[in-house]
Amino acid sequence: MLDTVREIETPEGVSLRLRAAGAFGRAQAWLLDTLLRFVVFCVGLGIFSAILGRGGVGLGMLLMFTLMWVYNVVCEVWFHGQTLGKRALGLRVVSADGTPVTLLPSVVRNLLRVVDALPGIYGVGLVTSMIDPSARRIGDIVAGTLVIHADDLPAGSKVPMAPAQPLPLPLDQDEQAAVIEFAERSPQLTPERQEELADILYPLTGREGTAAVTQITAYANGLLGRP
Amino acid sequence: MKQEQFVALHEKEWNVLRSWLGQLDRTPQAAMRAEHALDFPQAYRRVCHHLALAQARGYSREVTDRLQQIVQMGHRQLYRPPAPRWHKVAVFLVADFPRLVRQQWRCMLVAMLLLYLPAVIAYVAIMWEPSLAHSVFTTRQLADFDHMYDPANSHLGRSSGTDLQMFGFYIMNNVSIAFRTFASGLLFGVGAIYVLAANGVIIGGVAGHLNAIGYGAPFWRFVVGHSGFELTAIVIAGGAGLQFGLSLLAPGRQRREVALRHAAWIGARLAMGAFAMLIAAAFIEAYWSSIAALPDVVKYSSGAGIWVLVFWWLLRGGAGSRHAA
Repeated sequence: MLDTVREIETPEGVSLRLRAAGAFGRAQAWLLDTLLRFVVFCVGLGIFSAILGRGGVGLGMLLMFTLMWVYNVVCEVWFHGQTLGKRALGLRVVSADGTPVTLLPSVVRNLLRVVDALPGIYGVGLVTSMIDPSARRIGDIVAGTLVIHADDLPAGSKVPMAPAQPLPLPLDQDEQAAVIEFAERSPQLTPERQEELADILYPLTGREGTAAVTQITAYANGLLGRP
Repeated sequence: MKQEQFVALHEKEWNVLRSWLGQLDRTPQAAMRAEHALDFPQAYRRVCHHLALAQARGYSREVTDRLQQIVQMGHRQLYRPPAPRWHKVAVFLVADFPRLVRQQWRCMLVAMLLLYLPAVIAYVAIMWEPSLAHSVFTTRQLADFDHMYDPANSHLGRSSGTDLQMFGFYIMNNVSIAFRTFASGLLFGVGAIYVLAANGVIIGGVAGHLNAIGYGAPFWRFVVGHSGFELTAIVIAGGAGLQFGLSLLAPGRQRREVALRHAAWIGARLAMGAFAMLIAAAFIEAYWSSIAALPDVVKYSSGAGIWVLVFWWLLRGGAGSRHAA
């Protein structure tokens, strides 16, 4: 439940990591979209009425229809699965297999807002997105779509440069990865925590405290193939 | 191979692909004209290969995350949906949509009964006992109807408002009803049944009331033109909602989620067809039905023509072998 990452295998045999977006971010995006549409509707109605008089109200109705039913679909299908609100919040609608959303699923998920919005403001949608592991509302479940975080994952930080040292004894691949990851993450940890973790490897390094941290960084550099 | 060597060997290739993908997001046309565009599928698959290698060899996140990002960007471009074609819209309207309606004929028949039976009952009941109209509508609503269909009115079917204003209103109102009818079918079909029956009672009630007070002629003259498209579209949206709800109640030999998804795709296409029909209906209703000056023979014959056209289209559209899928 806590891990919202879904791994999807692509035809190329590698896995995509999709991070499902929770109800709160989506609600914010919806609120932003709603405010924006309200403003556009008011401005549009004002302009049409000023030019055409009472006929302008008809154009205003058409505008309202477009904003209510068409806006979401057009944004999702032709603008990278993002309405303006979703773009601002860094969210994106994709198919369940990670490919961009197509017309019919987008129509389905937006028509089913009727059901998701049912008691007042998105009550059904809120409950289902809390129950579903990928935070999908009913429209998403039926349409086979998913709302994900679109912004890139922060790329792993670099291992600090240090003169390389070979490992005193061969390690498993998992263990090697652990050594490298420790070196990668150590700048994000407090010195005390670094030392605490490094001390666990006393049998390997034969040192304690700051010296152990330096030693492990040196091993990591060696594993990466640095001089 | 050590990680640093691997990066040094392939980094240039990754950067080229990454920058091209970035360009594609910002200026798609220029990027597609670039020479590198032809290499994209190959370059993308090589990066996928590199990612798989990097993961298998246990390289650090620095490399795998970087490759992962490029793969995500590339995947989005390589598997994006094809550009829409106007031709497909035409084929859908002429052939696919009528075929879909015929394929779902059972639900359509039920929806038709659910709309027209209450309508006929309400109509007959109010003709028989005109005061029953007061139990369906409020006095204010009845006064509005009387005003709209007053034979002295220069525009049929409206108390005020220009053609354009009414067109916008009809689109907003009717299409929203159609969409809601379909979507609320998800509640085991109850929503669709309710909307169909309620609309049936209202339509039959208005007709009965106006006939009973002697305003029947303007009413029938008004509705005969657009009713062919409008009522049929509501029936189709209702039928779409019914088959949607039915897939949840009786999914057959499928899991409910799969059955529901299948039904939703059918329903969404039916709803889009109903949308097109309601646009046609709104045009007729706003610009043709409201003209009071035309003689009866023109009004009724054109209305009958539209009904025949709608049924001929739905029953025969796409039936020829030429369009067979």
